Amino acid sequence: MAEQLLDQIRDVFEGQIDFEGQKLVELLINVALSVVGAIAFLVGYVLQDIKLAVYIGLIGTALVFVLVIPPWPFYNKNPVKWLPVGGGYQAPANLVFDGKTVR
Amino acid sequence: MHSSLVRLQNAFGFFTTVAFVVAALIAATDLIAPRTPSVGVLKPTNVQVVRGRPHYYSSKKEEYAIIRFSLDADLSSLFTWNTKQLFVYVTAEWPAAKAGSGSGANATNQAVIWDSIITSPSADHLANLGPIAKKKLIRSAQGKSIDPSRGILSLKNQRPKYQITHPSGKIAQQDDVVLRLHYNVQPWVGLLTWNRDSDVGRWKTLRDNVSKKFSFPEVKKKE
Repeated sequence: MAEQLLDQIRDVFEGQIDFEGQKLVELLINVALSVVGAIAFLVGYVLQDIKLAVYIGLIGTALVFVLVIPPWPFYNKNPVKWLPVGGGYQAPANLVFDGKTVR
Repeated sequence: MHSSLVRLQNAFGFFTTVAFVVAALIAATDLIAPRTPSVGVLKPTNVQVVRGRPHYYSSKKEEYAIIRFSLDADLSSLFTWNTKQLFVYVTAEWPAAKAGSGSGANATNQAVIWDSIITSPSADHLANLGPIAKKKLIRSAQGKSIDPSRGILSLKNQRPKYQITHPSGKIAQQDDVVLRLHYNVQPWVGLLTWNRDSDVGRWKTLRDNVSKKFSFPEVKKKE
């Protein structure tokens, strides 16, 4: 019971996502943070307001963090299909490796 | 990118890069902002030389020059979104005694007689003022992100902040003294910049920032 609970807590903390999700996260981090930086700079320059630029930059970055860090469900849409444990898979009869037949 | 911790590290790492690039861009906008400061009037209005002690227990007596001055200057173009504060100061300058003093030849004595920090509205909370004066300062620029009108200086017969002397203790009857106005722009990000003697790109030099030559009078007699 306690072990199960600990496992669940660890899973939530680790927040694992699948490979497609990882690819998406990397793209999102690079694009979204760059866009936030560009908006902060441009708005600040046009309105000549450096405090506004800092706030846009920090709040935008915080939002991007919320978007990319937790394991949201859409990062787990392509789970890896593992082979079943034991059985279901038969080794080929004559596996040749390095000129020798391996059993 | 498989776990939350790795995503946090990656996102924060890229955030630092973005922050650095944005800061560099902000610093670069200073170069395209024209600076056209001008000086209308800079002249001494009342010059006195008195004898005094450098501190209370000193047995040495020195001569101190007290230079009142008038200044009209328009430094409003120095206030951009990246200006944190502007340091403005007036110096008195006179040539060093020529012969006999070794390194003295061609040297110039220079001493600050007055200075002032003009904050931008974005830095008003940092101003070194009492609570009431600070509240007043913040209210004076309510709703404004920059306030170039703060760069317009108009001082009439201003009392100097500092009485100046010379390492020798002698300053009376010195000839060829001039007052000079200087400024130092302190940005939020980027390099400190001082007034220069030549134009740099869109930054025009501060013209007429030197007063006419004048002389220090004799030591004031005690009545």
